[in-house]
Amino acid sequence: MSLLKINDLKCHYLTDADTVRAVDGISFEIGEGEILGIVGESGSGKTTVALGIMGLLPENTAISGEILYRDELISSLPESEMDRFRWKDIAIVFQNSLEVMNPVMKVGVQVTEPMIRHLGFSPEKARSKCADLFRTVGLDPKWMDSYPHQLSGGMRQRVLLAMALSCDPKFLILDEVTSALDAFTRKEIRDLLVALQKKNGYTMLMISHDITFVSSVASRIAVMYSGRVVETGPVRDILVSPRHPYTRGLVHSTPDIFVYKDLWGIPGDVPAGDEFKGCPFSPRCTQKIDICKDATPVLMPIGGGREIACHRGGIAGLLEARNLSFSYRLPDGEYLRAVDNVSLEVREGEVLAVVGQTGSGKSTLAHILANVIKPECGEVLFMDGNAGGGSYGNKVNGIQIVFQDPFSSTSNRFTVLDAVKEPLYINKIGSNGDRLQMVKNALELVRLPTTDNFLSKYCGELSGGQRQRVALARAMVMEPKLLIADEITSALDVSTSANVLRLLKGLQNRRGFAMIYISHDLSLTLKIADRIAVMNSGKIVEMGNSHDVMLSPYDEYTKRLVGSRIGLCCHNH
Amino acid sequence: MEKDRNSFIFRLLSTLFVILAINFFLPRMMPGDPFSTTSADEVGEEIIVMTEEQRLYYLNYYGLDRPLYEQFLVYMKNLMTGDLGRSIYYKMPVSDVIMLHLPWTVLIVVGATVISTISGVILGTLSAKNRKKGSDRIMMTGLIAFAEIPSFLLGLILLLVFSVYLRLFPLAGAVTPFADYNGPAEQAWDILYHAFLPIVTLSLSQLTGVYLLTRNTLITVTTKDYIRTARAKGLGEKTVWIRHALRNALLPVVTRTGFMIGIMMGGVVLVESVFSYPGIGMTLRSAVVGRDYPLIQGILLVIAVSILVCNLLVDKIYGKLDPRVGI
Ligand SMILES: Nc1ncnc2c1ncn2[C@@H]1O[C@H](COP(=O)(O)OP(=O)(O)OP(=O)(O)O)[C@@H](O)[C@H]1O
Ligand code: SF4
Ligand SMILES: [Mg+2]
Repeated sequence: MSLLKINDLKCHYLTDADTVRAVDGISFEIGEGEILGIVGESGSGKTTVALGIMGLLPENTAISGEILYRDELISSLPESEMDRFRWKDIAIVFQNSLEVMNPVMKVGVQVTEPMIRHLGFSPEKARSKCADLFRTVGLDPKWMDSYPHQLSGGMRQRVLLAMALSCDPKFLILDEVTSALDAFTRKEIRDLLVALQKKNGYTMLMISHDITFVSSVASRIAVMYSGRVVETGPVRDILVSPRHPYTRGLVHSTPDIFVYKDLWGIPGDVPAGDEFKGCPFSPRCTQKIDICKDATPVLMPIGGGREIACHRGGIAGLLEARNLSFSYRLPDGEYLRAVDNVSLEVREGEVLAVVGQTGSGKSTLAHILANVIKPECGEVLFMDGNAGGGSYGNKVNGIQIVFQDPFSSTSNRFTVLDAVKEPLYINKIGSNGDRLQMVKNALELVRLPTTDNFLSKYCGELSGGQRQRVALARAMVMEPKLLIADEITSALDVSTSANVLRLLKGLQNRRGFAMIYISHDLSLTLKIADRIAVMNSGKIVEMGNSHDVMLSPYDEYTKRLVGSRIGLCCHNH
Repeated sequence: MEKDRNSFIFRLLSTLFVILAINFFLPRMMPGDPFSTTSADEVGEEIIVMTEEQRLYYLNYYGLDRPLYEQFLVYMKNLMTGDLGRSIYYKMPVSDVIMLHLPWTVLIVVGATVISTISGVILGTLSAKNRKKGSDRIMMTGLIAFAEIPSFLLGLILLLVFSVYLRLFPLAGAVTPFADYNGPAEQAWDILYHAFLPIVTLSLSQLTGVYLLTRNTLITVTTKDYIRTARAKGLGEKTVWIRHALRNALLPVVTRTGFMIGIMMGGVVLVESVFSYPGIGMTLRSAVVGRDYPLIQGILLVIAVSILVCNLLVDKIYGKLDPRVGI
């Protein structure tokens, strides 16, 4: 039996200016003794859900839907009736702030208050229980006689916890209990919570924007976005293979999960509109289709206890390569297997890095994927069509490749304008005027000047870094869905290559294209990759989440590659 | 700490000095002098017209013909020994005159402070609880309009209605003249009976301020997170309002009470005159009319000191109520 059940809860704040649909139709259940986590960015409506359960939403809130506690409908109870449940059955640890406790009352009094009221304790008995509670949460009972402003944030958090536990509630809501704390205290509080839950069997609803924290405690999580649940499922599964584009963004912008990667938030803002229809994530989604802006996707089971709300069933595949092989014929007549039975998949909006030593066949693979050379056998499917026949390199929203050596793609004798315009010209895209504008846009994207002076420069006059950017602009002008970048920084000095890489990742993050990033340089790769494929002698020997591959490589070759990079590894997971 | 205290005392002393100087020079800047007044204030008072000779004699007798700075120095010197000088009109020490009249003023000012604060807080709380409902609107409009009536006019109206027409209250005085009381209870009753209308008038003049402050602070306080916390704890509406909300909302009200006493000390002059109530307000008025310099100085000094003391007290009380200040 579920302890708490929420059915299609909607909480809309009606302000003078507009209506904020803070919670917009969410449903979930929490079983007895279960810990459910709710994660989502700031403003996604997490606190509103908590307040909704407690019946504490301000008067200007339009509430609909049902909240059932032990099968009793509590969502429409009047204040006084609701007080029966408050604190004795359902208690909450509020998001910490200086004002969350009464500034003119001693904290001990604030903790004993509900005991005296609900449990009928005498003040002395309540005080002695309060002292016990203080010890439980790791606070010296002498602090009972302090005022809130005399305590540090961490101490206040502990008092709030003691306060919530004072009447032995069945169901505990924890709203951002650790967000304001330092890493050390955070860990202490986390361990304390886990221990308390084990001992007393609390059912918990744990709310936080910190997905690491939540997943270290909860067994199931619900990911909220703009007032809706976009994905739910067992914690481990969601962390390892997030299926909703938003969840992926959230997981990928979490430093504790992606230890090596630079932090790239999810671009764009949460839509705030009251008249919004369609998928709330669509303004930031890299794989949206027409229906996304008209209809709101509903949460659908996808097996394994997981549910996801997305018209495309979650992150969609973009490119699939099956059993690719390619051999070069050497002068002595022998054949060299440069690519040997390689299969891989690239999903929408992700960065797949292909790493390996020189000569491991990376560039050949890149050329096959970009349809520059034909594989001996195997096939490449791009957006469910056959890339071989479809020549996706010649189309807008297709595949573009940028090469290792900028000098080959941009001829010395071309001006910048011609070099960038060429693909448009060859593929007969746009009128002449359009093309100039498109070129300028592309140059702006890669942070190059768009002055006539610069446009009429010859590529031969440019520096290596500039030239690589021009090559990038040449690819961007076709607005690719997939960009293959083949060792694009290897010809550049360290600082320039770092700049180009940042630019590239920034572009990828903003424009939302997928990327295959080919490199022999692991350190740089780790900064931008979501997944890594390790290549050795034409074969992919290991493929997985970049942190998994880095932290626990299983292939011998990968181990050597990882070992050669950082020497002594300090992580021993 | 030590330094703070020193600078505090220095500030206090310099404030006092400025007040003393103003008290001294201001009355002397008014036209006329104690011996050239021709109009009598009190009914039935004889008008004594002095000859020029007599006038000069008296001026010399009271030292009023000496240069101002010299007079000021003498005044300051006497003050140091606690001597406020002699009243020219009453022909007795100023301190005695003040002690005779001050208790009445204290009675009505304290009474009015207590009554206006308590009723203002109660009305403000009711209004805040029914915020945006009819009763809140009516109370608010009514009290704000009411606050526009000057207190002496209000006093006059009350006097006319309750004393002149309804004859419920006395027309003047603080006690029934030549009364013979059977015990202190009857005496107290008589005193209250006389003080009632002046206290009501003064209270009404302050009520709206307290009411508005309480109402608005409460409305702000109830949006605070700690009120939500108190609600979450299921403590019940009454506890939430009284223990948590009101306790916090009263802090600014306490501060205001300090100012209020100052304002009332000014208002009391008019109100006492209207009700012919023999407090220092009325005494001050007659002292001004009679250019009784020493008495004017003495009363103004008492008023100033009492305002200072009130503010000090309020600071102390505030420090006790709000643990966040001090230390
Ligand atoms: N009382 C209110 N009146 C109007 N709008 C509100 C009110 N409280 C919250 N909101 C709006 O509702 C939305 C959801 O707020 P909520 O506090 O539930 O977010 P949250 O997920 O808890 O965020 P955070 O992580 O910052 O705590 C926000 O856009 C917020 O601005
Ligand atoms: S594909 Fe459509 S439904 Fe799915 S997340 Fe993107 S915008 Fe939403
Ligand atoms: Mg919140």
